Amino acid sequence: MNAGETRRLSVPATDAGIKAALDALESLWAAQGVSRAVTWPVEVSLDEVLANVVRHGLAGRGESAQVELELQLEPGDPPRCEVRIEDDGPEFDPLAAAAPDISLGVDERPIGGLGIELVRRLMDEVHYERKAGRNSLRLVRRLVAMEQ
Amino acid sequence: MEIGEERTAGALVIVPVGRVDSVSSGELERHVVARLDAGERRVVIDMAGVEYISSAGLRVLLVAAKRLKPPAGALVLCGLGPGVRTVLELAGFTSLFAVEPARAQALARVEAQASA
Repeated sequence: MNAGETRRLSVPATDAGIKAALDALESLWAAQGVSRAVTWPVEVSLDEVLANVVRHGLAGRGESAQVELELQLEPGDPPRCEVRIEDDGPEFDPLAAAAPDISLGVDERPIGGLGIELVRRLMDEVHYERKAGRNSLRLVRRLVAMEQ
Repeated sequence: MEIGEERTAGALVIVPVGRVDSVSSGELERHVVARLDAGERRVVIDMAGVEYISSAGLRVLLVAAKRLKPPAGALVLCGLGPGVRTVLELAGFTSLFAVEPARAQALARVEAQASA
C-alpha cells in the first residue's frame, strides 16, 4: 500500500452528487490498491448517509446545496478508513433515531428506516457533531473482512 | 448498474449487476414492478453480479416479496456474495426470503414453491 491519501470533494445534493461521491470512494480504493471485499461496508454507509442528507436534510434545494466530503485512507494492517460528511441542512443527529424492529415479518415490515441502523452496524465508530450551523458526521472503519 | 434477464419455462430470472445503491435502486424497482404488473408470479433475483446493496436496494426486495407471497407468487434470491449476505443478515432480511446458493437451485425452489 501507498502512503495513504485524503481526498476532499464537494457534491451537489442530488442523485448525481451521490453517484459522484461513491465513484470518488471507488477511485480511492483503486488508487490505494484496497480490495472491494473489505471496502463495501464504507460504500454502503456513505450511500445511506448521503441518501438521508439529499432526500431529507437538503431536500428540494438540489444543485444549490452542497455536501462536503473528506475521504481518508490510512495505511496499516488493516488499513483504516475515515469519511466525513458535512451539510448545512437542519440539525439532524442520525444516531438519535430509534433502531427499527428487524424481527417483523414481510407484512408488518415497514419499507425504509433501515439505513441508519446499517451504518451503525457496519462502522466501527460513528460520530455526530453540530457546529457553526452544519451537520458533521464522521464514519470510521478498519478495513477488515466482515464476519457473520 | 445493469439489469439482465433470463426467462425459463417456469420462472423469470432478474439479474442486477453492479452497485444497488440509493441512486440505482429506483431503476431496479421500476424494472421489477413492471414485470410484476405484467403478471410475472415466479421470480428469481440472481445477485451474483451485485457489488453491494444498501437499504434502498433492500426496499426493492421487500416490495417484490410483498407482491410475490406464496401461494399466489414465489420469489427466491440467489448468488449472494459475502457483502450482500451480510447486509441482508444485519437487516434481519434472511428470514424473510427464500435464499439459494446459485441459479439452478433457485429455479428448482421457485418452481417447487409455486406448485406447493
